[in-house]
Amino acid sequence: MTRRMPFPAVFGAVLIALLFGCSAVSQTPSVPPKHPEDLPQGRVDCLECHENVSAGALKPYGTIRHSRVFIDSHGTYARQGQNLCASCHAPAFCQTCHARKEEMKPNTKMGDRPDRMAPHRGDYLITHRIDGRLDPGSCFRCHGNKNDVRCRQCHK
Amino acid sequence: MENESIPNTALGGRMRRPTTVIPLGKRLLPAIVAIALLFPLLFAHTAPAADLSLFSRTYLRYYERESAGGKEDTFAPLYEYLSADATNLGGMPVAFHFYGWGRADLGEETGTGRTSGDIGSLYLEYLHPQGNAQAKLGRFFLTEGAAMETIDGAFAKATTPLGLGVSVYGGAPVEDSILNGTREGSALYGGRVFFAQSGFVELGVSYLKENGTFQRGKDRELYGGDLWLRVAPSVDLTAQAVYNRSVREMASQRYAVRIVPGATFDISAGYESYTYKGLFQSTLNPAFVFPALDNNDEVRTIFGIVDWAFVPGWTLEVAGKHIRHDKSDPGDANRGEVGLRHTYNDKKDVAGLSAAFVAADRDENEYREVRGFATYSPSKIRLALDALTQRYQKEIHGKKNTYQVVASAGYQVLAALQLSGDLVYTQSPNYSKDYAGLLRATLELGTTTGGKK
Repeated sequence: MTRRMPFPAVFGAVLIALLFGCSAVSQTPSVPPKHPEDLPQGRVDCLECHENVSAGALKPYGTIRHSRVFIDSHGTYARQGQNLCASCHAPAFCQTCHARKEEMKPNTKMGDRPDRMAPHRGDYLITHRIDGRLDPGSCFRCHGNKNDVRCRQCHK
Repeated sequence: MENESIPNTALGGRMRRPTTVIPLGKRLLPAIVAIALLFPLLFAHTAPAADLSLFSRTYLRYYERESAGGKEDTFAPLYEYLSADATNLGGMPVAFHFYGWGRADLGEETGTGRTSGDIGSLYLEYLHPQGNAQAKLGRFFLTEGAAMETIDGAFAKATTPLGLGVSVYGGAPVEDSILNGTREGSALYGGRVFFAQSGFVELGVSYLKENGTFQRGKDRELYGGDLWLRVAPSVDLTAQAVYNRSVREMASQRYAVRIVPGATFDISAGYESYTYKGLFQSTLNPAFVFPALDNNDEVRTIFGIVDWAFVPGWTLEVAGKHIRHDKSDPGDANRGEVGLRHTYNDKKDVAGLSAAFVAADRDENEYREVRGFATYSPSKIRLALDALTQRYQKEIHGKKNTYQVVASAGYQVLAALQLSGDLVYTQSPNYSKDYAGLLRATLELGTTTGGKK
């Protein structure tokens, strides 16, 4: 009787082979762990100082420019690596929204920063019924299995 | 019916309950946390060489709510959010990160006990100077291919000179369940294999498995694919797809084309879809399972966004989205939004005006929204005003409108300390006339300059 090799074992073997087979880490300089200069608050435009391609993140700086387009699709870029994000943002920055057991809405915490893209403005207890019916996937990312404690008051 | 998988005992009878097995991830958790906490002590003698930063935000909220019995209750939760980062430990590319919060109720209980809190991050990080190789140990938020998780565990990533790279992670998922009969996952692991060529392409395939008894009593097992490809100067293609093997459904897909011709114009359009069965399979929240919603539904979205800095300091934002459901309830919808932002006072201040609408098949899903905000920061003072109104097509609790105004004023007491206060007025289907207050103290200490916010 033949046994199917479980996928994790195959995946692990491939990873080990790649790591040790290639035997060396790329010599390309990494993204610095911390941006060397203070950055102004608000949306940052990397192109004011940087040109071409980020040697560490391997993407053009124009791609990382914090426009509304980038902000709406930042997850796509973050899923390919957080190094460049972490150069300017502490872990607390991501977890202002992507949190577990969070009790304060991001826009409540940042009432002094209306320029920030903070979800759930206004009386969102009302509006979430509509947004949740139409696009529950957008709710799921944060409230599907982590930040759901407050949901319990109504969703039982 | 007897369960054939339960073996006979030595005495010949069937065991009534299988032995409780504590999952590997949970067993390792105390050790991981202890190591993450104690490891920085190894570098204590070289502390002066480390770059330290501490960021504290203390909030005192104040609001009143009418309880079911008609009694006015006063709530005053005090929150502390603390973030600490130590990089360059011992002169090596090792860092320690912490982020957590706690709450104590000074007035009535706010709903989940008089005190609460959570540790968001607590981990050690090694960042290799070359090839973006890195490792993390402890509790951290991870986005890698199919994964967007907080885990207690370990993560490692490296890129080879050929541009091939790998990442692996494993540990215990940091989750919460409010879904009766379904507990948090017990262990989570996975990895990603990718190829990256500078300025041209990054292509990845990923795998994630979370042990648990989620919908249909199954684990969560995902296969993911991601792509960033520069197809022409200033033109990017991005793709991201996740297949849920546990339920044999595509969980989600997103494909977009983005044109960034310079520093002033950015436009993107694309297609996104997800199936409830595939995406929500691992939910721990009853809002994402039947009967709250129909798990056979699928959402398909076409979207477009434009960001145009047409004059220095002025930016026009336009976004549109067509949301299509397989099911007539909740039906389809279109969302449109246009906004204007103005940056001034040496980029320290921003003002904005935006209008949005949702037009839908069903009246109860339609609303319009208008928002305006402005900040003003002369010297050490910072003022902010934010006003929002929404008008619903169909009455909710006998009302069609929501208004909210947030006024904020702050003062930079010291270079590292700012005090501010917000006053929030809300009128909505929930509140006839509601005032809430917030006091905020922000303390920021650091031994070096540099971006970390």
